[in-house]
Amino acid sequence: MNASHHLVIIALLSAAVQSGTILLFPTIGEIFAERAGILNLGVEGMMIVGALIGFIVTYVTKNPYLGFIVGTIAGGLTALIHAFVSITLRGNQVVSGLALTIFGLGFTNFYGQRWINLKLNVTPSVLPIPLLSKIPFIGPIFFKQDALVYTSYIVAIVMWFILYKTKVGVHLRATGQNARAADAMGVNVYATRYWWTFFGGLLAGAGGAYLTIGYASFWLDGMTAGRGWIAIALVIFAMWDPLNAMIGAYLFGGIDALQLQLQAIGVTIPSSLLNMLPYLLTFIVIVIATLVVRMKHISAPKELGIPYNREEK
Amino acid sequence: MLRFEKRETTPASLKFIVPTVSVIIGLIIGAIAILIKGVNPLHVYNALLIGAYSSKYTFSETLVAATPLILISAGLILVFKMNFWNIGAYGQYIMGAIFSSYFAIFWSPNIPKPIMLTVMVIAGMVGGAIWAVIPALLKAYWEVNEVISTLLLNYIALFILKYFMYGTWRDPLSHGFPLSKPFPNNAQLPRIIPHTRVNLGLIFGIIAVIVIWIILKKTKFGYEIRVIGENARAAHYAGINVAKNIVIAMAISGALAGLAGMVQVSGIIHLLQIKINPDYGYTAIIVAWLAYLDPIAASFVAVLLGGLASGGYQIQIVMHVPFGIVNVIESSILFVLIGSEIFTKYRVHFERKKPIPVSKIGGE
Repeated sequence: MNASHHLVIIALLSAAVQSGTILLFPTIGEIFAERAGILNLGVEGMMIVGALIGFIVTYVTKNPYLGFIVGTIAGGLTALIHAFVSITLRGNQVVSGLALTIFGLGFTNFYGQRWINLKLNVTPSVLPIPLLSKIPFIGPIFFKQDALVYTSYIVAIVMWFILYKTKVGVHLRATGQNARAADAMGVNVYATRYWWTFFGGLLAGAGGAYLTIGYASFWLDGMTAGRGWIAIALVIFAMWDPLNAMIGAYLFGGIDALQLQLQAIGVTIPSSLLNMLPYLLTFIVIVIATLVVRMKHISAPKELGIPYNREEK
Repeated sequence: MLRFEKRETTPASLKFIVPTVSVIIGLIIGAIAILIKGVNPLHVYNALLIGAYSSKYTFSETLVAATPLILISAGLILVFKMNFWNIGAYGQYIMGAIFSSYFAIFWSPNIPKPIMLTVMVIAGMVGGAIWAVIPALLKAYWEVNEVISTLLLNYIALFILKYFMYGTWRDPLSHGFPLSKPFPNNAQLPRIIPHTRVNLGLIFGIIAVIVIWIILKKTKFGYEIRVIGENARAAHYAGINVAKNIVIAMAISGALAGLAGMVQVSGIIHLLQIKINPDYGYTAIIVAWLAYLDPIAASFVAVLLGGLASGGYQIQIVMHVPFGIVNVIESSILFVLIGSEIFTKYRVHFERKKPIPVSKIGGE
């Protein structure tokens, strides 16, 4: 392999990490909502709200970090609709989540029109990390990125630690496995579920905001293009583990980067088939992941999607 | 403090009041959204009503939009009753359109019309059914989550459609646009109301509603579906073949969505293109829920939401109000409806706060 090939591969994998970051945030968020027992199928809707709001704030203030934070919060606030309907009112979580996706896509179509065809002239700058970025191969791929990508690494590691090594994590897992037992342990089931649903929305918003601010630099109607659903699929692939989510997100980021690269160099495969690749692969992976999860006797949180009623029984 | 007491049955009046109130609240939320944009919501709603119900022609366009909603929701009701979440009507509709268009594009225009249309109807239903049976089999035998699998198949179907439209199915005379050649007369569904686009598809829809109603009320299959919906495990122990029922119900559901796609290309647009409105597949989910999974009620709800859709296209053209407002209204209706389950399933009492007796904590 000569030097130029080497650079192409590094550029491709670096793009894979960026594309994967769009998925990593929402996948981790959904893992925690599901761990608390709340299935939120509105990831696509929350992402696209975060994407639009993040774009607008960045465009107006010329501060990508502020845009990212506000986009993140916008995703969290969107999730509160689902939290209220499914936790307080004990509504059907599948339908409520779908409604959230329809809402997010409609909301951003309705308010987003005047932001189409504008380009951000500020992007989060690349900050090579001293020493780490000098590691051959790995360094330029993972440690020559912007601050938002680094944020996603920190979130994945910190959330893994919280999930498995802290009391908060124990309470969270108990809530999703057996809410009544968690209640008896003194856990406030409703508050726990509200918080983690909100948290899931925050990270979905973050993924969307990264899409417009860090990745694309423009706003397009419906631009999340099903990434929210891929993130939900990755939750199963990751077996509800935030560190596994990194593997899944970068794998799919890699497919996305690869198909864009193939289109850019003008291979003869039709672009519609290349565009299909991430969805087709997710479909195949979800089948395999389901079989593996079953073989390993890992299951989804036992009370996933089941509303808790403190007074019943 | 609120206390909830479980209801034995939901009063029929609530089944009418709750959806009605949901629609009203949905419209109010939509109005607020329009107001925030600096547009007068009354003007928008007025235009929407005019665009949906004011004249024979606009009402006929509402029926045109209601037709696929009636067909798709009838099938969705069947699978939703067994708690199988078919979110894939979007893709099944596209596959139905592709399968049926094949014959319209590549078969001779001289084939007698009844034969051609029969072939296209069957092809559309087979296309939709195939796309629905894949996730049904995966769910029935391997427990693959059907929400995710049906959704991903939607995107895959869309890219298959794009592949054909940018590839071999594109009309050389289309100036590079992704359009097939226009369907010859023998591949066009007859229109049943003169000077409108209302076509035989509406009759298909009415037949579908009756068939689904009969299946649910009068057949063993319908009975098993309801038992599975109430408790799949109990149904299994009672000797019901759950997997088989899932696959058959999904085949029917997919076939009806595929038929809706066929009706759209053969009865309305008369060619195949990328924009064939598969979003009906999502709207039909809302129709099914607003109707509390009753196929006959669903056909009326379909006319209501069909009006919202066709009125929505009108306000987009006339007032430049983006179509997204329709989705905001629809989702708000759905949130209120789902949130109101607590009132249909429970009797709500207001009382002063008191601690939960210790015996109720952790006890089974």
